[in-house]
Amino acid sequence: MLSKRKTLQEIVEEWKKNEHVVYWHTVPEREAKVVPYPESLHPKLRESLEKRGISALYTHQKDAYEAVEAGKNIVAVTPTASGKTLCYNLPVLQTILHNPDARALYLFPTKALAQDQKSALNEIIAEIEATIYCDTYDGDTSPVIRQKVRKAGNIVITNPDMLHSGILPHHTKWVSLFENLRFVVIDELHTYRGVFGSHVANVIRRLKRICRFYGSEPQFICTSATIANPKELAETLTGKEAVLIDRNGAPAGKKHFVFYNPPVVNPVLHIRKSAVLEAKSIASELLKHRIQTIVFAKSRVRVELLLSYLQQLVKHELGSRSIRAYRGGYLPSERRAIEKGLRSGEIYGVVSTNALELGVDIGQLQACVITGYPGTIASTWQQAGRAGRRQEESVVVMVASSSPLDQYIIQHPSYFLERNPETARLNPNNLIILVDHVKCAAFELPFRRGETFDGVDVEEVLEFLTEERVLYRRGEKWYWMSDSFPAHGISLRSASQENVVIIDISQTGAHRVIGEMDRFSAMTLLHEEAIYLHQGIQYQVETLDWEEKKAYVREVDVDYFTDANLAVELKVLEEDRKRETSAAEIGFGDVMVLAKATIFKKLKLETHENIGSGPIHLPEEELHTNAAWISIKREWLPHWNDARLEQGLIGIAHVLQSVAPLFLMCDPSDLHVVAQVKSVHNEQPTIFFYDRYPGGIGLSDALYQVMGQVLAEAKQMIERCPCESGCPSCVGTDAWSTHAKSDAKRLLHMLK
Amino acid sequence: MMSLKQKLARLKGHMPTHSPVGEPEREATDIPYLDKWRDWNAEPFFFDGDYCFIREVVYPLDARHGMYRLGDLHDVHNKWQRSSLSHPLSSAGHDTSDLFFFDTETTGLGSGAGNTIFLLGHARVYEDRVVVRQHFLPHPGAEVALYQSFLSEVDYTTLVTYNGKAFDWPVVKTRHTLIRDHVPKLPAFGHFDLYHAARRIWRYRLESLRLAQVEKNILGVERTEDVPGFLAPMLYFDFLSTKHPDSIAGVLRHNEMDVLSLIALYIHLSKQILQAQAIEHASEQLEMARWFDAVGEADEAKKVYGKVAESDAKEAAKAKWNLSMIYKKEKKHDEAIALWQELLARGNDGWSVKAAIELAKVYEHHYKQPERAYEYAQIAYHEWKELVRTHRTNESPHEFLRRLERLERKIKK
Repeated sequence: MLSKRKTLQEIVEEWKKNEHVVYWHTVPEREAKVVPYPESLHPKLRESLEKRGISALYTHQKDAYEAVEAGKNIVAVTPTASGKTLCYNLPVLQTILHNPDARALYLFPTKALAQDQKSALNEIIAEIEATIYCDTYDGDTSPVIRQKVRKAGNIVITNPDMLHSGILPHHTKWVSLFENLRFVVIDELHTYRGVFGSHVANVIRRLKRICRFYGSEPQFICTSATIANPKELAETLTGKEAVLIDRNGAPAGKKHFVFYNPPVVNPVLHIRKSAVLEAKSIASELLKHRIQTIVFAKSRVRVELLLSYLQQLVKHELGSRSIRAYRGGYLPSERRAIEKGLRSGEIYGVVSTNALELGVDIGQLQACVITGYPGTIASTWQQAGRAGRRQEESVVVMVASSSPLDQYIIQHPSYFLERNPETARLNPNNLIILVDHVKCAAFELPFRRGETFDGVDVEEVLEFLTEERVLYRRGEKWYWMSDSFPAHGISLRSASQENVVIIDISQTGAHRVIGEMDRFSAMTLLHEEAIYLHQGIQYQVETLDWEEKKAYVREVDVDYFTDANLAVELKVLEEDRKRETSAAEIGFGDVMVLAKATIFKKLKLETHENIGSGPIHLPEEELHTNAAWISIKREWLPHWNDARLEQGLIGIAHVLQSVAPLFLMCDPSDLHVVAQVKSVHNEQPTIFFYDRYPGGIGLSDALYQVMGQVLAEAKQMIERCPCESGCPSCVGTDAWSTHAKSDAKRLLHMLK
Repeated sequence: MMSLKQKLARLKGHMPTHSPVGEPEREATDIPYLDKWRDWNAEPFFFDGDYCFIREVVYPLDARHGMYRLGDLHDVHNKWQRSSLSHPLSSAGHDTSDLFFFDTETTGLGSGAGNTIFLLGHARVYEDRVVVRQHFLPHPGAEVALYQSFLSEVDYTTLVTYNGKAFDWPVVKTRHTLIRDHVPKLPAFGHFDLYHAARRIWRYRLESLRLAQVEKNILGVERTEDVPGFLAPMLYFDFLSTKHPDSIAGVLRHNEMDVLSLIALYIHLSKQILQAQAIEHASEQLEMARWFDAVGEADEAKKVYGKVAESDAKEAAKAKWNLSMIYKKEKKHDEAIALWQELLARGNDGWSVKAAIELAKVYEHHYKQPERAYEYAQIAYHEWKELVRTHRTNESPHEFLRRLERLERKIKK
């Protein structure tokens, strides 16, 4: 017998004494707030709820029921495990019980979530013994089932991508759905932000247009995790007024929120022990005592690193198959198997990117380890919500990295615990996205003069498309007149429209596709000689066929990983807005960005020491987008040479890259920061912030408004950092000059 | 500030656009180039404030299309009426002129709502002539007129197409759904899809089963100055900008040839089916026999398999085997045994193993002669081992050994 197995409580008590735990926050238990069933509830539904031991509804469930009954569109904000599905399932089933012809469309951001919902719904339907047909409709659905769903599906469960390319363009096969569509359910509303959200908002515009053609006007029922602006988001996404339901009545177990700051290993450079390594020891402690744990890491590479460490550690006690990785690039079958293993308890640990942030039903997890601050408050709470679903005690450990943002959060827990979660932004009128969907809409039905695209005047777009010979105008109508199928060329998920397919060629004659990746990421992760990790297995990229968008990889066993550099050039094309302060000029406008992967480094796995490098030969990628910028008037710095100025700017850029996403609730990779000593358009030292999507998605636009606050926050962050002359937590390691930190402070002071 | 137009121009590179379309058309009350259309035997059909064209071309029954006269349809039709065969391509019970040879031209692929049919062509064979009629969409807004003309004049019961089940008809249904409030109901739908027949009979013989290939290799049709089908969308977009019938004439002609080829193909297939025993090509004859077998015409299948079996083509073995399986089902053991012996005598190949196994089975289970069965089981095993040695497969000998063991036990009893 090995050492005694500890309980979660025992581990928690030990951690309370750990010197690296810098803050301990306990979320107390919460009592349930319940109300009796609504009068109008169908007796069959009531009976089935009672059979499941539900004798009353939580307050938010009843609020949702009543608002929908009154014909309102709603958005219900509920934390994980609060019974949110009843917020939509009750009114939908109620309606279908009274009118068997009624139809509902459920949208989930992923296929996995759709599968879950289907099983849950069919259980209820079996209990109420009603003939209600409910099924998923996505890329995995067989042709026979597809036909049945089209003809008779009362509840059709799908995802926005399928609605976009598989349902709307073929609406004539869905006549009875569109004629009788009463509800559109949008779950996980908060995921529809940024580029993806902007696309989905346009898909919804198309959906409403098709519904009008067939004479229906569905109600929208949305559910969202906690964000600052759920009502606004629901209204932007659906183009309809929505009622906010947020009187949460669900109970919750006690939750410990532990802020863990790894020890400083190099006091001079103020470098801390790697968050990945610390997360590894914390997670292995939990797993050793058979506490089901989920570990979140920010990048695919980190997920794979953590996975291989942890599998090694528990190989003998639990077996390496008991710990799995879960991330976006995996094929559906792989992901399903993992979800099943978690529910059945065969799998103890999961290492995940934010794919599991969404409410996939993975059963009981007692602990959650977050490697590095996820970037947003909302996202952190979502990840933390994966632990303790069954209302028992649970623990969440957030391990900070050396990045400025992490250090800021870990040293100011109140920022995280007291501030409102972020605002979700989207820009459905991004011109590129709008034009894409006007094309799809014109393919679906001709546009009539005077017709708006859900309120947006698109006549100029239609004229443009006519000039481009995609549409044909005759009289008062624009007709689709091209032999292409527009939805196939438009991906809702990624900025670039073509993904790179990853092909394993380890076995001759048995090549297989193991995943895919968007083009921009592929530049730095799938270049030739890159080490690509998939389910903990290392592959080396042998050939990257950029024309055909294929990466051929072979299994290898090496002790390093690769990290690539992206060189970025930026030109201002048009200045739309500008304002001046005494020493600076703040602008916003259209820019062109040229990005090129230059070199890669090989870094040793355990020590991250550089053991080699090589060039990357890939063509430049061009991006037209929006940017906000701030320029310092050069004449205010007469004694600074360019080298000094550059060091100062690089330092500021490093801090700003962390701070700006705080204000914009965006993934840090959606907004990039670039510094130039002498920018082409005004010849002044300038820092640019640009949207990483053609045409922009409103991030730099919003940033232009709050530039002052962002700069002030950046200044504080540098000032509060305890290092002497710059460290990874403030100005970063690219600013190597010993003055970099003080220069950055001086520049920021001038800019204020 | 940039204007929207400037922005669009700048962002153009991010917005892939496709394929050509004409200039927006000036409003015109009269029909452009009407006299030219009339030269092409086309007349406008007016409905609900818009129009389409109907082009009609009449051929005499003696007109040739490849190796057949179009009028040969009457002959095969009469044969079908007299034949007792029940076959999916049989026209028994219909009139010749019920057969409605149909093909479309579209602006794209697939059945998405944006794919428009701009040409519906059909041919019918009457007592004294063949009539091709084409319904042409002069501009996208005129679909109501197009379908009104098409659906009201064609009182058909039987459609003959080439891959119409998977393509043409679903697109017709899509278009109809979009304008269903304005046009007559879509008729119920009977269907001879010659593509499925062609695939069945020629899939080993022809490299491609596109209609053009079948025409060239089977029907002896030579097209001169034909417009390839894939160019049709582009030519139509071009027509929309010029409005001149010359720009679309090639496509009309192409479609006309297509529907005539459907007549010839139907004649040819019918002849092959009705005189299957006389088919020259062994692989075709074998596939034809299998077709009879599949549709339950066992007697006809036996006759046709018999012809292939008698030949010295490489298909003979397969024909013998299939024939033996029919006999086995009919419990005609002697006939089946004779065939299996023949297959066994041919020497070592896959058929000899299968035949020996069948012989072992029939002697074991039907004639109850385990010794004899054991002999064949051993032969089967040896034949199989021989094969495995030369072909190096990974099959397991398990089945063979089990049979031998079982027969040994029976013999000892």
